Amino acid sequence: MSTFAEFLINGVSLGSIYALIALGFVVIFRATEVVNFAHASLLLAGGYVTAVLHDTIGFWPALLAGVAGAAVVGAAVEFLVMRRHRGGDHSVLAIVTIGVDILLATELTRRIGTDILALGDPWGDAVVTVGPVTIAETRIAALLAAALLITAFLLAFRYTSWGVAMRAAAENQETAALMGIRLGRVSLGAWAVAGGLAAVAALFLTVFPTPGLERATSLAALKAFPAAILGGLDSTTGALVGGLLVGITESLATGYQGDLTFLGRGIGDVAPYLVMVAVLLIRPAGLFGTKELARV
Amino acid sequence: MNHRRQAVRGLAAALAALVALTAAGCSSKAKTGDGKVTGAGGVKTGEGVTDKTIALGALTDMTGVYATLGKSVTQAQQLYVKQVNAAGGICGRQLELTVRDHGYDPQKALAAYTELEPKVVGYTQFIGSPFVAAVKSRVDGQDKGLVLPQAWSASLLGSPYIRVLGATYDVETINAVDFLVTEKGLKKGDKLGHVYFEGDYGENALAGSKHAAGKAGLTVVEQKIKPTDNDMSAQVAALKQAGVKAVVISAGPRQAASLVGVAAATGLRVPVVGNNSAFAPQLLGTQAGPALEKMYWFASPSLPIGADTPTAKKLVADYQAAYPGDGLDNGIVAGWTAASVFGEALKKACADKDLTREGVDKALLTMKAHDAGFGMTHDLGDPEAPSSRESVIIQPDKSVPGGMRTVRQPFVSEAAKSYTP
Amino acid sequence: MSETLTRPVVRGRALVYGWSAAGLLLAALPFYLDRFWLQAGLFAMAAALGAIGINLLTGATGQLSMGHAFFLAVGAYGYCAFAGDGSDGLAGLGLPGWLAAVLAVALAGLAGGVFSPIAGRLRGAYLGIATLALIFIGQHVLFNAHDVTGGYNGRAVPPLSLFGLTFDDTELLVAQVPFGAVEKLWYLGLVLLVGGVLFARGVLRGRPGRAMNAIRDHRIAAGVMGIPVARYRAAVFVLSSMYAGLAGVLLALVFQRTVPEYFGMALSLEYLAMIVIGGLGSVAGAVAGGVFVSLLPQLLTRYSDALPLVSAPGTGGIAPGEAARYLYGAAVVAVVLFLPGGLVRLAARTRKTPTSDRPSGEAR
Repeated sequence: MSTFAEFLINGVSLGSIYALIALGFVVIFRATEVVNFAHASLLLAGGYVTAVLHDTIGFWPALLAGVAGAAVVGAAVEFLVMRRHRGGDHSVLAIVTIGVDILLATELTRRIGTDILALGDPWGDAVVTVGPVTIAETRIAALLAAALLITAFLLAFRYTSWGVAMRAAAENQETAALMGIRLGRVSLGAWAVAGGLAAVAALFLTVFPTPGLERATSLAALKAFPAAILGGLDSTTGALVGGLLVGITESLATGYQGDLTFLGRGIGDVAPYLVMVAVLLIRPAGLFGTKELARV
Repeated sequence: MNHRRQAVRGLAAALAALVALTAAGCSSKAKTGDGKVTGAGGVKTGEGVTDKTIALGALTDMTGVYATLGKSVTQAQQLYVKQVNAAGGICGRQLELTVRDHGYDPQKALAAYTELEPKVVGYTQFIGSPFVAAVKSRVDGQDKGLVLPQAWSASLLGSPYIRVLGATYDVETINAVDFLVTEKGLKKGDKLGHVYFEGDYGENALAGSKHAAGKAGLTVVEQKIKPTDNDMSAQVAALKQAGVKAVVISAGPRQAASLVGVAAATGLRVPVVGNNSAFAPQLLGTQAGPALEKMYWFASPSLPIGADTPTAKKLVADYQAAYPGDGLDNGIVAGWTAASVFGEALKKACADKDLTREGVDKALLTMKAHDAGFGMTHDLGDPEAPSSRESVIIQPDKSVPGGMRTVRQPFVSEAAKSYTP
Repeated sequence: MSETLTRPVVRGRALVYGWSAAGLLLAALPFYLDRFWLQAGLFAMAAALGAIGINLLTGATGQLSMGHAFFLAVGAYGYCAFAGDGSDGLAGLGLPGWLAAVLAVALAGLAGGVFSPIAGRLRGAYLGIATLALIFIGQHVLFNAHDVTGGYNGRAVPPLSLFGLTFDDTELLVAQVPFGAVEKLWYLGLVLLVGGVLFARGVLRGRPGRAMNAIRDHRIAAGVMGIPVARYRAAVFVLSSMYAGLAGVLLALVFQRTVPEYFGMALSLEYLAMIVIGGLGSVAGAVAGGVFVSLLPQLLTRYSDALPLVSAPGTGGIAPGEAARYLYGAAVVAVVLFLPGGLVRLAARTRKTPTSDRPSGEAR
């Protein structure tokens, strides 16, 4: 039972990191209706800035710089690439983000080279033991940070003028523009926020129990795809639920792989996708996504 | 469709003309002789060898998943070539090493092999056992050039031209388990955890641990992972629940670091041993560094780069002079060993006055006790067996160059001696 | 087709001469080029075939698919399983090569058909990411179903036999030029590619093509106009998968071994890059993009010593593999921003200017 609790808590904390990534993904989709395949590179960029700077300016400033850096990269992608092709086919724009991703990822992996970079976080390998359950402090920090950020984000989304503008843009771009909402700013803001969230996720993906930031770190961001989709691409609640679902599924499937050998070993990585396909079969727009209504 | 008939007729005529042209010897591809000639010094030569040079190929991965290994191996081999050339070359000829980086992409790997095949005697390096397997039928069938893969999987054994240097993963794992039993107090009836990669590295190692466990009366608890898994919390929790007394890890350095770090932090204080690919000196700078120094060992087919032998000392000095700023790791040893085996085979082939691929292959088979200077002798006489069954047990240690200290000198366990894959 | 009939005869004849010259050149290459180039060309042909498939689906019908690599894998492994005789300890039916190839393509189509109910329910991004699941689940199966796939190291590909000719490395002297596997496969690849191009053009230029474009441009409007949208989408999915399967079979024959590593997400992304670079929705574009993306890294690697900025491995600086990735990443972005319509549009633009002014200009 205690092992189950450990798997579950690990899954929840992992899931909260995925939720952070998925949230950025959803924000971009809501504001621009573009699926951002470059999200993994934004994450890597944020992590890289933090890793390079923490030695000279200390961890917390470095983390801030990382968040800012990833936000700038995100905004730059929007400003330099996505904006130049507004109004186009959304699947073409999705493919453009693939091109952007290839560029960014190649540059970052070339810089990182064969190193494993530490992020200099204050938690180290400390663990907390509650009864029979042991959990790493970094995991608790991840859970708290994710909860805090997501709450703050949802509040901002609801109550600030930026949030209102974004929701209006998501509802109907043309009407929003007619009402005086500057779509360019909304989508720029969305990309920047997504970058910042990804940078925070990068921190928690590379601290203990993982050894550090290296070229393959961005692969973890791929887990956010099923998370965002199964929650519903245009739902912020969906991102949260989807992230948790993917984290827990992965953790349990890995933990109990000994009992799941009939599915082949190493099922942990695939399980989130199986869950996603199952959900999509029943609800094609995800758990919380709005069903598309169209007029001819 | 008058046009079409016209086109067909034109095409046919032109094709006929073409065939006539090549028949007249206009294509450089047209067959003339078998390409073997007798060159300078009365030495028979074939592909890749001229009167001045001997061309070698290296198919490496410097931008993909095995970039860490590929970089060290390649630089060590470039260093070897430079030194041999400075000393006058082999057989009066300079060595030329052409490096192709395939980034662990099958298409590029195959393209690079095909590109270099007509130009080189053989390959001092070929990273990626699936790709070696992909060209195996060509190597065995018509190419017959010597290939020294940088992988230690038993599935690569059996070809007279593709030769594995040092103990294969299964043999190495048997030796590692022997170390756990004889020195770390693992005894009959205990459970042994084994965390391994999918693929032939991990599965080959698993075959070894199962064999060793059978001999020593242990039970193996399996945990299969993927190269993209970086967080071993779930695996450690599962192993802890199973009550293992020791763990073998056949994965990459990152997984080993995570496993040991998590195990130490969560109170699973048991010895962990890895295969030679499950450690990189860079790890000592991460959070898991202290835990690694305390409860982690790994087996290796040769002494570490920081070993106390004349060759090792000289190699470290030369390497640091040639590539300042690059770390020292066992990839350098592996690259150097492979290059020196190839060089030795070339020297022998030269003495036999036959520098063709067949000559080099034949010369290699006569090398029964090659010493590359890292504490092992390699017997290359039998293509069915790895060139050595010996392993060294190494402990991570920050204070030694390369971060590795030998804790058990080369040995072959009883279980490994009797083992056949 | 009516435009071809009204075209001046001179132009038509010029076209015929142009095509037969190109055909002749391609047919002559195996006599002169060495194995590296022929192999690179075969990779390009396979890529072109696969790209045609995904262009029908994503370019012409507007269904984003990231699972193309999965269908390539079905074709490649399907061929091995049908043609293998079980002598290597892996499951095989021992069918003749040509039949195995046909069945493998059909199997890929079937896989597409099985997935199409899911695909039919999903749209846009949802479909894109759902097809991503195919890659991960597919690779999991490839790694684990050891009896059929050979696991991590893959399985050897049995050579194809056609009309008594075996496409393997046994030397066949044609006009004193030794013909190995790639030389023989070159002609097979050419035939398949020409067939694939003609068929796809037929589909796109006819009624189905117009229906597909209508679905892409406005799904609901297309439905209202009486196009059976669901049936069309499913059919295109099957057809696209069959093209992928065919590309997979050809690749397997060139590789002589199928490796699960290859059929990953990167490959799917490469195919999307191909059609964007070449031109969405056009067959010529798919071919151009396929050739560009698959040849680029091989050329850069081969000439890494001679190119500025690109450095040989081990000397620091930008490695050829990285340079290729920069270039094609940048190509995707640049094409979408500055050259909507892709490479084919560029070709069309440069060609149109002289011929529209002087129709007989080419036949001087």
